[in-house]
This record gives sequence, C-alpha cells and structure tokens, in this order.
Amino acid sequence: MTSLGTFIEIFLQALIAGVLIGAIYGLMCVGLGIIFGVMRVINFAQGEFLMLGMYFTFYLVVGFNMLWFLGPIVGPYTGALLAGPALFAVAYVLHRFLVSRVTGTSVAGTEGEGHYAQLILTLGVALVLQNGGLILFGSTPQSVRTPLSARAWEIPLLYDANASLFLNKARVVAGVVSIVVAAALYWLINRSRLGKTLRAAADNASAAIYMGIDVDRAYRIAFGIGIGITAIAGGLVATYNPFQPYIGLDFVIIMYAGVVLGGMGSILGAFWGGMTIGLVQQLSTLVLPTQLQNAAIFVVFLLIVMVRPQGLFGRATERV
Amino acid sequence: MQVRRRLIAPLLVIAIVAITWISLGMVVANSYYQLMLTLVPIWAVMGLSWNLLSGYTGLISFGHAAFFGLGAYTVTIALVKFDITPWLGIPLGMIVGAVAGIMIGYPTFRLRGHYFALAMLAYPMALLYVFVWLGYQEVPLPMKREKPAFYMQFSDYRVYIALAVGLLVVSLLISLAVERSRFGMSLTAIKQNEAAAEAAGIDTLAWKMRAIMLSGAVAAAAGGLYAVVLLVVTPESVFGVLTSAQALTIALFGGVGILWGPLIGAAILIPLSETLQAHLGDVIPGIQGVVYGIAIILVVLLAPEGVFWRVRDRFQRPYALGAVRATPLAPHIVTAAPAPAPPRKPILAVSGISKSFGGLRAVTNVSFEIGDGEIVGIIGPNGAGKTTLFNLLNGFLQADSGKVVFAGHELIGLKPNRVCRLGVGRTFQVARAFPRLSVLNNVVVGAYATTTNDADAFAAASTALAQVGLIGRSDASAGRLTNKELRLMELARALAGRPRLLLMDEPLAGLASQEIEDMLAVIRSLVAQGMTIVIIEHTMRAMVRLSERFVVLDHGAILAVGQPSEVINNGGVIEAYLGKKWAAVRARS
Amino acid sequence: MLAVESLSVTYGGLTALCEISLAVGSSQFVSIVGPNGAGKTTLFKAISGTLRPSGGSIHFEDRDLLAVAPSERAHLGIAHVPEGRQVFGSMTVMENLEMGAYSQTGRRDWGRNLERIFALFPILAERRNQAAGTLSGGEQQMLAIGRGIASSPRLLMLDEPSMGLAPMVADLIFERIAELHRDGLAILLVEQRVAEAVQSCDFGYVLETGRVVLEGTHQALLADDRIRSFYLGM
Repeated sequence: MTSLGTFIEIFLQALIAGVLIGAIYGLMCVGLGIIFGVMRVINFAQGEFLMLGMYFTFYLVVGFNMLWFLGPIVGPYTGALLAGPALFAVAYVLHRFLVSRVTGTSVAGTEGEGHYAQLILTLGVALVLQNGGLILFGSTPQSVRTPLSARAWEIPLLYDANASLFLNKARVVAGVVSIVVAAALYWLINRSRLGKTLRAAADNASAAIYMGIDVDRAYRIAFGIGIGITAIAGGLVATYNPFQPYIGLDFVIIMYAGVVLGGMGSILGAFWGGMTIGLVQQLSTLVLPTQLQNAAIFVVFLLIVMVRPQGLFGRATERV
Repeated sequence: MQVRRRLIAPLLVIAIVAITWISLGMVVANSYYQLMLTLVPIWAVMGLSWNLLSGYTGLISFGHAAFFGLGAYTVTIALVKFDITPWLGIPLGMIVGAVAGIMIGYPTFRLRGHYFALAMLAYPMALLYVFVWLGYQEVPLPMKREKPAFYMQFSDYRVYIALAVGLLVVSLLISLAVERSRFGMSLTAIKQNEAAAEAAGIDTLAWKMRAIMLSGAVAAAAGGLYAVVLLVVTPESVFGVLTSAQALTIALFGGVGILWGPLIGAAILIPLSETLQAHLGDVIPGIQGVVYGIAIILVVLLAPEGVFWRVRDRFQRPYALGAVRATPLAPHIVTAAPAPAPPRKPILAVSGISKSFGGLRAVTNVSFEIGDGEIVGIIGPNGAGKTTLFNLLNGFLQADSGKVVFAGHELIGLKPNRVCRLGVGRTFQVARAFPRLSVLNNVVVGAYATTTNDADAFAAASTALAQVGLIGRSDASAGRLTNKELRLMELARALAGRPRLLLMDEPLAGLASQEIEDMLAVIRSLVAQGMTIVIIEHTMRAMVRLSERFVVLDHGAILAVGQPSEVINNGGVIEAYLGKKWAAVRARS
Repeated sequence: MLAVESLSVTYGGLTALCEISLAVGSSQFVSIVGPNGAGKTTLFKAISGTLRPSGGSIHFEDRDLLAVAPSERAHLGIAHVPEGRQVFGSMTVMENLEMGAYSQTGRRDWGRNLERIFALFPILAERRNQAAGTLSGGEQQMLAIGRGIASSPRLLMLDEPSMGLAPMVADLIFERIAELHRDGLAILLVEQRVAEAVQSCDFGYVLETGRVVLEGTHQALLADDRIRSFYLGM
C-alpha cells in the first residue's frame, strides 16, 4: 500500500509541476503561435527574446531596482509584465528594418521557398542576441529572487498523514499570472478590433488589403505582440529559475514542440500544446532519468511532425 | 563531352590550393596559427558536406551537427573503449554518418518546408541530451605514447595540417564529381522544381537519400578529424547549434551549390572569428557567435546565394539586360480547322476516373481515348478540372476510381517518374530554367531517365533541341532566353526523354501572335514525327486550327468530345463558355 | 468616376493588357466580359492595386489611383469583391462584415449598412455567427458582396461573382447586383457569362487577349454575334 501511496504522491507532484510549468510554456507558445499564425514566419530567435525578457526583468527589478516602491513580491511580477511592452518595441523596430526585408521575397538560392530566408535570418539574429547577451550580461547565472521563491504551500494528502504535496509559491504565482495574461491575449485577439484585424490579415492577406487593412503593419504588430508575450513568459520564468544568456536554446524546442503540437496557426492550440509539453516533461521524470526529460520532448516533437503535422487542434477547431 | 572538357581547370585549382596550404603550414611556427590552418580545412569540409545536401537540393538543413557529432564520438569511443585507431575510426565514423543520413532522411524528407527545417534542428539537440545522459560530458582522447603515429597522434603539428588538407582535397573531389555528373544535375533539378523533375523521370526520393548519405558521411569525417585534432570532445562543441550554424553559414556565405563556396566561406569566416576570439575573447566572450550571426544576416540581405555567385554574376551576367517586350496581338484571322484524320489505334484509354478533395468533386467519371499520333485539345471554362486531369494522368494525384491505360500499361498508382519512363512527357505552365547553365545543360536533365551514360544523354538533348529549333542556342546561357525560347527549351526537356505521348499544359499562354505561330509549327512537326500530343489551352483561336479533336470539360465532367467545328457549335459548350442566357437571348433575337 | 486610360500590364515579358481604355460614370453599371485569359482579372487587379501597370493611368474621381497604396484604395470609396470570394474563412459572418466596415465611412454607416445587407441577403442574418468557411459558395458570394457594401462605397467592383455557382444562385446574385445599382451604386462587373453580365449594364466592353475588341450598350452587344467567335475561336 505504501508504495502505491508513494507512487500517487510522486505522480500528483509531477502532475501539478507539469500544470504549473505548462501554463508558462503555454504562454511562451502563444507568443510564438501568434507570430506563426499571422505571419507564417518561423522565428528561430524566439528563445533569445525569452532570454531578453528575463534580463529586462532582472535589470529593472534587481539591477537598477526601479520598482522598489512595489515591494519585493509585486515588483518582480510587474517587472515581468513590463518586459512585454519593452520587447514589443524592440521587435517592432527589428521587423521594420530586418525581418520585413525577407518575408515574402525569394532568397537564399531556393526559388519559391521564401521562408528559408526568414529561418536563416532569424538564426542570425538568434546568434547575435545570444552572444551579444553573453558580452553584455556576462555568463554568471542570475535570478530574480522573491520571498516566494523558496517557500511552498503544503497540501496534505488525505490518505496518508505523512504524504503531502508541495506547491512552490513562486511557481504557482507565475503559473497563475501566465494564465491571466494568456486569457487577456485571447480576449484581445478574439474580441477587439485589433485582434480581428490581425486574424483577417492572417486568414487572407490579399482580401485584407482589399478591406483597406495595412497588412504590413498588421504583421509588424503581430510580431511585436508575439515577442512581447514570450518576453513576459521569460520574466515569469526568471522568478523561479536561474538563467544565463544561452538559456534560450533550452526553450526553443519546447516552444516549437508546443506550437506544432497545438497546430500551427491556432493560438488556443498553442497554449494547450505548451501545457501538454509541460506535462510530458514533468511526467516523463517518473519513467526517465532527468537528463532525458528534454530528449523526451524531442521525440514527441518528431513524432507529431511525422505523424500528425497539423497538430492536435489543427483542423478540429476554428483558428484562435 | 561538354561537361568533361572543363574538368582540368578545377582540378588544377584544387591542386594549387592544396600545395599552397601545405606550404603555408610548413613555414608557420606559431601554434595558434597552426591550429587555425588545421581548422579552416575541417570547417570547409563541413561546409562542403552541408552543400552536398542543402546547397544542391535546396532542402536547408539546420542539423548537420548531428552527423558531425556522431563522427566525433565514433572516433572517440572507438579509441577510448576499443583501442581502435582513428585511421580506422574516421572511416567507421563515415559509415555511421551515412547510416544516420538514411535514418534521418527517410522520415524527414516527407516533410515540407519549415517542418523539414524544424525536424532537422531537433536531431542534434536530441543527440546532445542523449550523450550527456550517457555520461559523455567531456571525453579526452588518451595519449598513446608507444605508437603515436598508429593512433594518428603527432608531435609535429604540421602533419595535422597535411591531414586536414588531405580530407579537404578528398571532399572537394567528391563535390566536383557530384557537381559534374548527373547526380549533381538531378539534385539541381530537384531544387529548381521538384514536380517538374519527377515528371521528367528523376526519382527524387532516391537522389535525396543518396545526397544525405554522402553528406552525412563527409560531415562525420570532419567531426572525426576534429576530435583527433582537439583531443577532447564535449556534447555542446559537436552537437551544438553553433556547429550546425557554422556549417550553414560557411556554405551560404561563400556560395551555395558550388564547391568553391564553402572554401571561400571557411577561408574568410574561420580566421576572422578565431582571431577575434583569440584577441578579444577575454574581454568580449561570444564574439564568435556574433560574427557568425552578423555574417548570416548580411548574406541573407545582400548576397542571398553567397559571395561566389555575387562576384561571378558581376562578371558574367546570366540574365538578359532589360525585359524582352512581346509584340501585341494582330487582329483576328479566321482560318479553317484541319481536315479530320483517318481512325487510329488508341494509345491512351481513360475510363471513369474521378477525384474528390474533401467534399469537392474535382473530376467526375471522365472517360475518353486518345489515338496514336493525334493532336487533342482539352478545353473548358475556368476551373473545369483540366490541370487536375493532367495531374491524375501523370501520377501527381491518385485517382479515387477508374483506370488509365497507356500503351498496355496501367498508370494509376505509379509515381510520376515511373510514368515518365513509360513514355509520357509533361510540360508545365511555368517554365523554370537553371539560369546560369547553358540551354543544353538545362535540357539534358530530361534525358536521364531513358539513358544510362552521359554521351547518350547529351545526344538525346541535342536531338530534342533540334526538334524545337533551338539547336543554335545550345550554348547560350538560359537566363538570356526570350519567353518563347524558354517555352521551347521546356518542351525540349520533355522531349529529351523521347516520349510517345506528350501532355502540354497551356504552352501558348501569354505569347504574342507570331510566337504562337512558331509554337504551332513546332507542335505540328512533332506530330508529323509520330508523337501523340494532348494540350490544355485557352487560346481558342489557335486551338481550333491545331487540334484534330476537342475534349471539353466543365465542372470536372466531360461535356462534349468531337471535331472542333462540331464542338464549338454544340449548345452545351456554348452555354458553358458564354452562359445559359446567351443561347436563350440569341434564339430570341 | 473611374477613368482607365491606355493601361498596359506586362509581367515576365508577357503582355497581359495592352492599352486598355474604359470609363465608369457615377451611378453607372459597366460590364467587362471576355474569354479566359483575356485579361479581365488582370484589369481588376491593376485597379485594386495588386498588380502594378507598366503604362497608362487610372483615375478615380480625378485622383491618380496609381499613387495610392493598395490598402488605401478601399478608404477612397472603392469596394472590391475579388474572384473566388476570398472570405475570411476562419472568422464568422459578422466578423467578416465588420472587417468590410474597416474604413471610416464604413464605421460611420455601420448600422444602416448592416440593415441593408441583411435585407438584400437574409441568409446572412440567419448565419451571422457561423464561420464563413462553412458557408456554401453562393452564401460566400453574398457575404463577399455584403462585405463590399459595408464600407459605404461609391463604386463596387466585382470579379467573376458567378464562378463556380449553380445557375439559379448566380441569377440571384446578378439580380441583387442590379438592385444595388438601382439604389444608386456605381458598379464595375467583370464576368465570363455574357448575357447575365451584359443585360443589366449601361455599357459593356469585351476583352480578348488583353485588348478591348468590342464595346457598346447592352442592346448592341447582345445583338452582336462576333462575341461568340471571340470566346470559341471561330
């Protein structure tokens, strides 16, 4: 009985960890999902913007301590949220001067496959940001500690007096904030005029032009939002995970796996895809050694791409 | 052959590069520069391996680190665990690389575009985690003091330089052999238009698999030598994203699809980044990555095909200066349709084929016969399913039901390259050429399916060019052709496979009236030589004069079959083209 | 209102349109017919801005249209109903109509326009929350036209609205277009079905291989048998 009890405890712990981390992965994937859904751009540099979000939050809250008036708990989370608009601006400019030059045009020697140019350009951007980050920020891992980082809520399990679940407070708050932001974004995309404009540009760009929509500007805004959202997710991760300039790499495949799993083009799907990846990652620790956690994600990713490339939600639901 | 004539020049260049490099290696004493002289060829080899797959086929791989790392670890593990010398370990690594190529290629080639790129990215990252888990965080290669040369360990650094140059020469020769043979031409055809290549008889999957096997083997060799030179292997250094990025950047920067490209790229980028790393590495760590990142960005924006092509195009402009203006159409001249021909044996029998996409019925129960030596026009209003019909005949689409029999062979279920080999040729609406190659080299690709050696292939290509009247332009650069000449070249490529039945998709679209006359003359002469031709066309004026029979499709079904004069007076046909009310209104007035 | 003068469009060395001239007066209904490959859709795209002409000019209400970016042209009072409907399949009928009302005039007249659209096409009111991609071809065409009206245009341009539609549905569409014209909207209709397009128009042009080969009032065109030879070759 006790071994079953222990198994249940471990399983539930992994499940909860999976849900909490899945919420944040979900937010990251939503960011990438917007970019791909609207612009059909594969952005290899997405992980680097995640990293920049982390460092922005770090410098704002810890480095320059500009949010001291909000206190040690509200400050970091506000900082994470502020990373959104800050990186939105960076992304907007980046799109205007770099990315827009290669979307739609046929380059890199492969005729008709213009998206290779985007892939390669964003790879270049990723390298510059990653290593530029190393130069600017140094390689010492940083973190944005809050009083919640080391504390946990304890939920006793009913069947055994000694068994309980530990919910790290920082992770719970980060997860909740992620869900709130994702919900706000869902509202924005679904209900607001801006959101409808983006969806129209995503659905049929030439028809959108006929309606009088400036599709180039729509793409730029979508790119900015997508990066901003991912930056917020980064800021949230920063509150419980140490980071250094190369951390983006760890998350790139998670984001892509989540978006592909959810169905490229579906924002809701991207969130669920990210959630699923989080669950897979945490639950896989039950059967696999920790180092292979991420290998498990790759395997899942490759399987989806081979077997069901439209993802779980690709055709079933309406886009968004 | 035309291609072999020019082999002397590149071989000479390779020899000069090798000799110069080794001489440089002999005189340089500084150990840092010696290392650099060793690394440049190794990375050039890596770039060449990337080129073998991605440069020639256009399938961009972001995961070549997988092969590199597998090669490095094979050599390392073979030495550490089994005491196998790298002299054997490197070839072993190449085998591992080739096998990995097959295992990765087979499932991944089914993916398109960005899915392919993402999947390729995932493989080395997965391998990285696996090797970390296996406990190979950092594996130094053991020193073998008793028989160092046997284990590829030399105290004199210059030997390593010679080894690296040796590997480079081998890789350059492999690339040259590929480029100048039908291997390279087939890959280039795939890159330019995979569907057209299939239709011309090229087994695209088989060639892609060969390319990735070779590419994997060469990359693994580079990885193996890298391990020997650096004497320590970590998962990040061989499976990391930077490794894949370096392979890609070196080839892309220097020149895609040509063996000199990676050489140029490595010669410029490696010294640049290594020097910066050495001098500034303490102050500005990560300068290497920044250099590669900026290099990639600049290349994509300014010279998308690489430095080599950018420079060469400057001196040998492949494209015609200024657009060739077509003359506007002359007024309508009515002439009679050709007299009906005697009855012929059927060569193509289509019975009851149907095709639906989801709920949409594109082609419904279509049946007709084409006689040997006939010219038949497939006509019908927009969206009638004509091109879908051709795709069904060719093998690009599988019919849901029905039979297609060509000269005794059942065509349904065959891949397009098989259909081509049976004697069915196809031209496409959009004619895409290899602009930097000569017209003859553009056409010869169509002859690969039906010839075994290059001499025959070029002979077939020349015959085809004579048939369309372009023999005088055989050596011209394809980028300089007029539209009509491009169409004729496309036709010649299909003819080079010596088809018995030719399917032509809108060969006259957009041509001026004199050009249309020229095309019609060519088509008639082909039929006179015994070919059977089926044409989809909208230019009715020309079609009524050219075709012996019409097959009219509307909404995916046959509306009428018969001679032009009958068909165009057919009420149903008039209704389909001009609208139902037209007939009613005309009847009233 | 709309004046096209000596317009030529070439791409890749092929001449799609050669010195076309036509005009649409205010509140006029002008039809352009012709066989496949005649350049009708090319003409439409040149006016809407998707294609850049190589010669000639287009003026709308005395404004040089070629100097106006494609996404701006909708704001000038020109509505486009493109070939193949091109509805936003993943959005609902209402959302499609909202997008049609993207311009300022559209937003200003939203209530009034919506009533009118639903009066013309009651089925759209019924299906207002349905995803546009699930509508039938005819319903999508109605939606596309409704989307065009939603911007309160002065000129409505339609490219082959009857393509792929059953004859009865196509007739209904043509009827509604004629009704819109009676209410005072200027119409430029590009079509392959001759009689339906020409019977309600004030003036018509026949295109063939990039040139205007015939023009006249609808009675003149319907009486002219040469149209058949333009379509069928002889």
